[in-house]
Amino acid sequence: MSADVKTNLKRLLACLGLGVVLALMIGDQEGNQTDFGFAFKAAVFHPRILIFLGIGVLLYLAMTFRPRVAPYLTRAGVRPLAAGTASVVASYGLLNWSDSGNLTNGKLSTLAHGARDTSGISVIGRLFFGSAVPGLYWILFVLAIALAAAAIIVQKSALAWGAAGLSVLAGVWGFVAHEMVRSYLHSPDHSTGAFVALLGYATIASASVTVARTSGSEAATGAFLDRIFGWKPGFPLFVIGTAAALLGTFWASWFSPTDKNTSVFGMSDLFHGYPINGLTSAYLGWLVWVLLVASVVVAGAATWLQHKLLGWASVLVGAVALLISLLSMHNFSRIAADQKFDGAVQAWQNIGTGAWTLCAAFTVLAGAGWMVARKPVDAAADPVSPRPIGSDSLVSPGKSFAFTQAMLVVVLAGALFYPPTATGFWQTVLVTEIGTYVLLAVGLNVVVGWAGLLDLGFIAFYAIGSYTTAYLTDTLPVKPPHWLHLSPLMAIPFAIAICLVAGVALGFPTLRLRGDYLAIVTLGFGEIIRIVAINAKSITNGAQGAFGIPQPVVHLGPLHLKWGQDPLQYWYLLLVFIIVVVMLFRRLENSRLGRAWAAVREDEVAAQATGVNTVRVKLLAFAIGASTSGLAGVFFASQIGYINPDNFVLNNSILVVAYVVFGGMGSLSGAIAGAAVLTWLPEFLKAQVPAEDRQMWIGAVILLMMIFRPAGLLPAKRRAAELSGLDKVYSAETAAVPAGEGM
Amino acid sequence: MTSLSQSPDVTHPPTTDVVYDVRNVTLKFGGVTSLSDVSLHMNRGEILAVIGPNGAGKTSLFNSLTGVYTPQEGSILLAARVGDAQTPVLLDRKFGPFSLERRSRKTHEINHLGVARTFQNIRLFPALTALENVKVGVETRQTSGPISAMLGMPWQRREERESTERAYELLGFVGLTHRANDLAGSLAYGEQRRLEIARALGTEPGVILLDEPAAGTNPAEKRDLADLIRKINVEDNISVLLIEHDMKLVMSIAHRLVVLNFGQKIAEGSPEQIQKNPAVIAAYLGTTDDEDAAAEGGTA
Repeated sequence: MSADVKTNLKRLLACLGLGVVLALMIGDQEGNQTDFGFAFKAAVFHPRILIFLGIGVLLYLAMTFRPRVAPYLTRAGVRPLAAGTASVVASYGLLNWSDSGNLTNGKLSTLAHGARDTSGISVIGRLFFGSAVPGLYWILFVLAIALAAAAIIVQKSALAWGAAGLSVLAGVWGFVAHEMVRSYLHSPDHSTGAFVALLGYATIASASVTVARTSGSEAATGAFLDRIFGWKPGFPLFVIGTAAALLGTFWASWFSPTDKNTSVFGMSDLFHGYPINGLTSAYLGWLVWVLLVASVVVAGAATWLQHKLLGWASVLVGAVALLISLLSMHNFSRIAADQKFDGAVQAWQNIGTGAWTLCAAFTVLAGAGWMVARKPVDAAADPVSPRPIGSDSLVSPGKSFAFTQAMLVVVLAGALFYPPTATGFWQTVLVTEIGTYVLLAVGLNVVVGWAGLLDLGFIAFYAIGSYTTAYLTDTLPVKPPHWLHLSPLMAIPFAIAICLVAGVALGFPTLRLRGDYLAIVTLGFGEIIRIVAINAKSITNGAQGAFGIPQPVVHLGPLHLKWGQDPLQYWYLLLVFIIVVVMLFRRLENSRLGRAWAAVREDEVAAQATGVNTVRVKLLAFAIGASTSGLAGVFFASQIGYINPDNFVLNNSILVVAYVVFGGMGSLSGAIAGAAVLTWLPEFLKAQVPAEDRQMWIGAVILLMMIFRPAGLLPAKRRAAELSGLDKVYSAETAAVPAGEGM
Repeated sequence: MTSLSQSPDVTHPPTTDVVYDVRNVTLKFGGVTSLSDVSLHMNRGEILAVIGPNGAGKTSLFNSLTGVYTPQEGSILLAARVGDAQTPVLLDRKFGPFSLERRSRKTHEINHLGVARTFQNIRLFPALTALENVKVGVETRQTSGPISAMLGMPWQRREERESTERAYELLGFVGLTHRANDLAGSLAYGEQRRLEIARALGTEPGVILLDEPAAGTNPAEKRDLADLIRKINVEDNISVLLIEHDMKLVMSIAHRLVVLNFGQKIAEGSPEQIQKNPAVIAAYLGTTDDEDAAAEGGTA
């Protein structure tokens, strides 16, 4: 048997094996008390196994003919086409298209099933859902993809234009059909399916346009994005902001989605006769349009002309517009609550997505102006100016810097104004899972990512922060002195200080250890803290933990804030914490200490010989990481109100490490993204797979990530260099210097 | 051989002030004696070369001088900068009347006393840029802490600016300005050697220890390196302790040589004296030193 045949046989067997694994992973396989092999048999000895074996064979073919296909894969438009395809498939298959329980469980398949026979929906909508041809939307999708793929292969621009047109049609049609369902149901709608489908089709369309407009076979998605975002810094933001503003005013509902579902045009009538104040009445009548036009025009002029002063003007106009919008929203929603309108009991309730989208649009437009105003001096003109490599500067200042800035503005606008439009479930997840773990991951990133010390007991500091809060708010058996009863927010400095001390106390005896040994010791530390919390009943109330930790309050001069049960309030508090911590850490990373951390991580002996006090530097990493964890602990304790040792198990420590590694060690944005994705994923999977399969899917995602993108989701430049070899990263530059030219 | 060597720099005669005073140092690893009763002194402002065949204990001596290893016996006194008092490198931890344990000062403490070094196998921070590598060195002399960095205090910004300026100066000194923003790991071999020297100079040393700086470099690079070492010695008034196998280089720049063999000092003196010393010829020059040097260069 020749080696070639052997390799192919091995590969085929591996692919078929993968098919069997997939068969085991996908679908219902109920276990059985008496027959432990039941799930296996149900998955494998069933005709549907053939489908999965077919997938295996396809995979085998794809791998075998990869060399033939590969040249096409590097062509322009392939990557965005793949991204668009993935988005549309996700939106058609996985995401909800409706919140309402009347018609559907929310997925497109069930929604379409109900909607295509509903006479209240116009024929255009019903057609999309398949009243004439069942599953029309899938057919449109496959057609668009096939056309685009054909255009890429044969390089015919006519085909590409066809694909672009078809995908625009499919995207807009789907969105309109979804709108019809929404207005038919008069229901509040937090579903993301229609949006993701629209975005996916937009990506496919732009991929097709790219195909049509490029000749030649090279593709450089990164360079393309750089060109788009670097062309006129802020201009893409202006486009995004304008689109969001139009969406928020002309399409989305502004108020009382449960029974009124009013757009901005109906707001004046709706509140006619109610005691809304002058500003609000002007706002709903005409001011909103003035603000909208003003901020769009100023931002557009600033970004087009790249005029710094206009940039600042745009920031100002956007900020004023945002402020007036928020004041008006507060006023009309409070009036509505006073009038028991639509079941509201307090301000800010029942505001629809439209108002929030408009707020996000004002933020993005202001951000566009800010980018123009703060445009860096052209880096190319000043070749010897220092270029600090930040953790997440996959980009150096210059063009891609504009991309980073634009992303920052969009993410900020999303973080501020998306949560109010989400469902209560997601708001809770956002606070208790995503936000808290993002804060923890940012803290652990200092220890693991920057200083290179593997800490498996990180959750211990979270526990210390939480118990400190419990102590200071007088909810533990051991009482603080009477002058030290504090509200939770006042406990923050104490918690940070105590965690600093605890970090140093853990670090001092253990820092002579390296790598694996250090990890084991920190793991032990985490367990010690938890077991002490269980056993020291007279201090910590043992396994019952602390109850009734008060919610945060702020009394600062005229400002009185009180946090209650609403997760949104906690989200904004958490957002403040995260932003402050990230800003401080960004500076730290490019400081003396940040470089010293990198030096210690890279080569400890060389760092010592260069005069770096490695013990001090490592202790600082431990202490700073620990205090971030302590801050998260304070937040957790006061938000949830009761804590017990079960909140601080080893599993959580390991999860935080996994988030940091998944996101990209040593990268701030990576740590944030890693924590956000991996905490979001299990909640998302709740609606997709059986509960007992969830961990398996998360494991599969992490596994694939580590195989195909070992540096993480948003890798740090420094780490990326270590993993992929420096030559690869800088090959272009080193190649530019002939060998021997060095001296 | 004599025709190859240049006369030591006469414009900059070494002063007699002692930088390193090493007395009767013995370093053992288990049963293996790496340094045996070695005594030497290094004068201020001189270029002192330590030579010897492979395994003679040269790098062990360097590591003992910089606090990486703790010799079991002997004493090392250090006065790196002009006007420094002699400071012991080896300390005996006392508990009452008993001498408990011998320890060396920590490596970073010795660095702060004015000793900088480079390594035989280059040890840069490969994932930092060349500029950042030098800045790490410069910044070990600064004082601003993490809190002022997080808050972006004015003095911290000033220090940051100063360290950047100083690092650029040093990169210019070793001729690497054009590679300032490249990752250290991506530099060519000779450039990495020079970057290591720049990083060492960033700590403002009184004495610099160079461990085989010419290993793996070509003749042109060696000439440049010799010039660089002289420049460090003359312009910055830094004493240089040098380990090198390349006899041509050593004889051309060293004011004085110390020869080690099997952990023992077998000779000491000016290049001319060493070249004539029968013990050295027997131990070192008697063998095929060119092959020796080539082999060393190849494996380093």
